[in-house]
Amino acid sequence: MSVEEPIGTRATLPTATPGPDTAGPTGATQGRWLTSDVGARVTSFAAGLLLWAVLGAVFDRIPGPVDAAVNLWQEFGRGEVFGNFATTLVRFFAGVAIAAVIGITAGLLVGWSKLWRAALSDIVLVGLSIPAVIWAFLTVMWFGLGWQAPFTATVLAATPFVAVNVSKGVTGISRDLRDMSRAYEVPLRRRIRDLALPAVTGYIVTGVRFGMIIGWNAVLLSEWFGSSSGVGFRARYWYDANRFGGFAAWVVLFIAFIVALDRLVLERLSRRAFAWRDTEVRTDDV
Amino acid sequence: MTDVAAVSRQERADDRRATARTGVQRLAMALFGWLVFLGIWTWGSSQFSGTVLPTPKTVALEMWSIVASGRFFSNFGWSLLKTVLGFVVAVLFGAPIGYLMGRSRYWRAFFHDGVTVSGTIPGLTYAVMALIIFGISMEGPVLAVALVSMPYIAINVAEGIRGVDQDLIKMSHAFGRSPRQIRRDVLVPSIVPFVFAGVRLAFAIAWKVEALTEVFGGRNGVGFEIRRSYQLFSIPGVLAWMFLFIAFMLLVERLLLLRLENRVLGWRPTER
Repeated sequence: MSVEEPIGTRATLPTATPGPDTAGPTGATQGRWLTSDVGARVTSFAAGLLLWAVLGAVFDRIPGPVDAAVNLWQEFGRGEVFGNFATTLVRFFAGVAIAAVIGITAGLLVGWSKLWRAALSDIVLVGLSIPAVIWAFLTVMWFGLGWQAPFTATVLAATPFVAVNVSKGVTGISRDLRDMSRAYEVPLRRRIRDLALPAVTGYIVTGVRFGMIIGWNAVLLSEWFGSSSGVGFRARYWYDANRFGGFAAWVVLFIAFIVALDRLVLERLSRRAFAWRDTEVRTDDV
Repeated sequence: MTDVAAVSRQERADDRRATARTGVQRLAMALFGWLVFLGIWTWGSSQFSGTVLPTPKTVALEMWSIVASGRFFSNFGWSLLKTVLGFVVAVLFGAPIGYLMGRSRYWRAFFHDGVTVSGTIPGLTYAVMALIIFGISMEGPVLAVALVSMPYIAINVAEGIRGVDQDLIKMSHAFGRSPRQIRRDVLVPSIVPFVFAGVRLAFAIAWKVEALTEVFGGRNGVGFEIRRSYQLFSIPGVLAWMFLFIAFMLLVERLLLLRLENRVLGWRPTER
């Protein structure tokens, strides 16, 4: 059984946690915390922070971590953080929701019918290769400084990623199982519930996940170039004022938000939706 | 005997004709898809005024004037050069990181978070950071490309190292090869395909971030031209550069990288 990998924008390690290793330090069985996996990850975080601090200290154009933290604290004190995030998140999630509806529909059509595949797959491919900044520019020129530009930019940037993953899920449904269930006259409801849905759900989750990652960049860019509210606008405000510390504070928030959303929500959902498949593949392989 | 051969030849001819027929069919469908798309676009531009959504013809003429004036080749050349330089930097730093990740469990855990999170970080961050560090310059896009593509190269090199045939290494040891020889003749050839896979995977993303960095701080290149069209409020200009951007990207991906990979890796058995 061939398993299609989801198409996305990010590098993924095949195993979430480092597996058993042949070349690893075999003598370190004392349980020393520093050489454990958790120890390594904490050390790498500290090393990254240290590197940032050194860069910030050496180059005066680069704001250091302390500068960013102080600015972040002040920005919270001014009450700018929650309001701007609320504004942006409404646009962002509304955009992702619409992108999910359009993308899932298009993906199902492309996956199911040859006619639609031939007609739409080129357009989806082109959509995948359009950079988010183009959507940001076009939507700003079309809609001006309102909520419409960031919202539409999110929809346009995220939809192809949802569509391509959903279509992969549909084409990945086992043909043998489909033929067999037809031969044994399994009722349509059960065919959808037990065959189609489990196969496609994981790809829908993955598609929406990548759509969100792409959409977040699009909404930020669109707000950066043409909006008078939202987090992208606020980051630009500091950038234009030549106060890179304030800008760095917002960058920390941008990254923290999307990484937290991805790690804490989307990845777990995706793993759960794919759980049946991965266990099956593993038993097949062994 | 001859009957069997004739039948099988007949079958093969039928097969070929059938695949040709589905090929023609698919092409016709794709063409149909594009025609519908262009139809909707034309209809849309007639609904709005021409400045909001220019007709396909206006955009095509704009594209032609960009190509004819030579701005296409000079700007794409610059962008491609920066992308390639960024990849070189990414391989220089990413390959050793991948080597460490492939060899030791500790380093694998050490780099795990950085490598997996970096794909989630919005491109805007890389672009503006490069601008802050280097100002309007050539180095900014190079840095952004390097940062974006390094994780892909590191991961693929790590996977390559982990996938090295241990029996080959054992055999080389048994035949008394030096570590240097093993590195050069066993490790490197089995890792190179993975570096290529990493570059090809990273290209689409790196290419976009490169353009984005030029939008923010470039003196030339595709991103710079897109930015200029935006500042002139020229929607046909933005659309024309967008289609050229896509065409160029697909061309490089399909033709250049795939060909290069096939040539460099020609020695490999085809099924993998």
